[in-house]
Amino acid sequence: MTEEKILLDHGSGGKVSHSMFSDIILPLFENPELSKQDDGAVLDVKGTKLAFSTDSYVVDPIFFPGGNIGDLAVNGTINDISMCGANPEFISVGLILEEGLPIKDFKLILETMAAAAKKAGVKIVTGDTKVVPKGKADKIFINTSGIGVIPPNVNVSGSNAKPGDKIIISGTLADHGITVLSTREGLKFDSDIKTDSAPLNKMVQSIIQSNCDVHVLRDPTRGGLGTTLNEIASQSKVSIKIDEQSLPIRGPVQGVCELLGFDPLYIANEGKLIAFVPQKDAQKILEIIQQDEFGKDAVIIGEVIDKDPGKVFLQTNIGGLRIIDMLSGEQLPRIC
Amino acid sequence: MALKYVEEYRDGTLARDLVKKIHSVSKKKLRLMEVCGTHTTSIFRHGIRSVLPKGITLLSGPGCPVCVTAQKDIDAFVAFARVKNVIVTTFGDLMKVPGSSSSLTKEKACGADVRIVYSVFDAVNIARENKDKEVVFCGVGFETTIPTIAAGILMGIEGKLDNFSIYSANKLTPPALAALMETDGVQIDGFILPGHVSVITGTDAYRGTFEKYDIPSVIAGFEPIDILQAILLLIQQNEAGKPALENAYPRAVSHAGNVKAKQIMNQVFEVCNASWRGIGQIPSSGMELKKEYQRFDAAIKFAMDMPDVPEPKGCACGQILMGLKTPEECVLYKKKCTPMNPVGPCMVSSEGSCAAFYRYS
Ligand code: SF4
Repeated sequence: MTEEKILLDHGSGGKVSHSMFSDIILPLFENPELSKQDDGAVLDVKGTKLAFSTDSYVVDPIFFPGGNIGDLAVNGTINDISMCGANPEFISVGLILEEGLPIKDFKLILETMAAAAKKAGVKIVTGDTKVVPKGKADKIFINTSGIGVIPPNVNVSGSNAKPGDKIIISGTLADHGITVLSTREGLKFDSDIKTDSAPLNKMVQSIIQSNCDVHVLRDPTRGGLGTTLNEIASQSKVSIKIDEQSLPIRGPVQGVCELLGFDPLYIANEGKLIAFVPQKDAQKILEIIQQDEFGKDAVIIGEVIDKDPGKVFLQTNIGGLRIIDMLSGEQLPRIC
Repeated sequence: MALKYVEEYRDGTLARDLVKKIHSVSKKKLRLMEVCGTHTTSIFRHGIRSVLPKGITLLSGPGCPVCVTAQKDIDAFVAFARVKNVIVTTFGDLMKVPGSSSSLTKEKACGADVRIVYSVFDAVNIARENKDKEVVFCGVGFETTIPTIAAGILMGIEGKLDNFSIYSANKLTPPALAALMETDGVQIDGFILPGHVSVITGTDAYRGTFEKYDIPSVIAGFEPIDILQAILLLIQQNEAGKPALENAYPRAVSHAGNVKAKQIMNQVFEVCNASWRGIGQIPSSGMELKKEYQRFDAAIKFAMDMPDVPEPKGCACGQILMGLKTPEECVLYKKKCTPMNPVGPCMVSSEGSCAAFYRYS
């Protein structure tokens, strides 16, 4: 019993995943690009800056309100590349299929992927398919990788947050995680909870082309906003303060969270970004985001402050102050 | 913004007014104890401690069902997971609680069939769908959960499920309050009584303890405003020297409670002595299956009689549950004991006070 094993926690995106990365993975693969720990690697290829990123999708169930594993996988990689400040152009797709998956489902997933790629203006240019015996995988797992070019003057990274920066979120929290969870658990809510899975590349391009300063872009996926803010606070060695009253959360989503005891701050989003921007440009960038198809509910939720580097604080509705810690322990396995 | 969820009971302005009132009436140093895990979480999540006067200390009592579960009961859950052909069904919070040698999470990683459920009914359904397997439900809860477990048993009878059983480590709240008051060194100036539990038990269930110990007691809901209101009432009672049993959650709690739920509970279960983690045996504080339902008792079915084992060395869960120590006073806190590597259940359960301290302060 003493032999250590991989637990579901290792995939949570929270503390345990982070220590697995820094204790096991990073020492073996060590290089400057990986060490930066951003959503994608930033590569210098003969003077051109490229963003390169990969992600695997194992969501259960594979179909849920508002989307399926296919568009989730395409949008996920588009967004990871976008968060490096790049414009994603090419994507690869690796499929692992379980024997017995209905062809009808398979086709539907691929059609959704094609549509998602088209909508975002990226090309799926290479791929691979494997089939494993029944029971050796669960229906379908998808890996996507992608690359995009970062314009020369752009430098966004989780380590660039500066005291005084305002923090913008592009819309409501926790929609994706709660959608998948309630579908999986067969919870019947007569409301319009659906995934927020969406490509954010156009939104990011508008931000970058505005010539405003942007320090950090991140999409708070697995581990949720709480975990992402903690990552940035520790990468940038700054402290962050968020105002609870400003956090946009849909009523039905908040309702499910209350019912099941989940904290929306730790629930995955798949079509939201947070931007750290200097105060002088905050209003302008907020407006740019709000003009995007997927940014109508964008708001400023907090700022970077000077004390206690590495910590994230929440000013609560009632005027209290408390810490937002990184997610510790798995809230929801197989959410993306 | 229309999308934003603003609940009446989370109203910031109302809450700030209550805080002002609390500051204006509070003179004495007081130690107030909440005895409900949901209260603990809510207090930390909303930063309630940070807005109270310095003289008011909030203590988290024995109100988190996982935290009060004795080590031998955790060992029993692990032992069930090791029995061939058994599916163990449990609330998520129990998964990582370390028993003497392992936890359900670790057993699961080693191949045991352990499934997280949201209620006993999910477990009944799993039993229905897996007639060739034995399904054991880990019954860990207070008055809120026990009636549903009883209903689960009745469902099992109706569905003629002889592959379903429960292990009852269920507990009752009022006897624990009395036991606290009897413990040497325990100093409590008022109880914030649990909302959910009281929905079932009703206000009357606390009358005995209140009358015997003359201790200010207020039933509270879970939103920040509910809790602040209860704190205000407890301070006022203390300042005026007039202890009372008050119901600050009348929108959900009545005098008699939920009579029907109590009936089902008492049909299936009867009161027994129970071991509370770190506190020990408390007379008449548990519930076991009545004789006629014992075929659903997993401990009997599998002849599982675990030895009493001491709690992990150094873990101060018991003293913390009684308000004798704070998590920061435990030598293992944040060192050997973290949510990733918990030593005691108070660090595992999302409602545990060590976990709440770790996460929110
Ligand atoms: S910090 Fe850990 S070891 Fe200490 S009392 Fe809490 S749970 Fe027990």
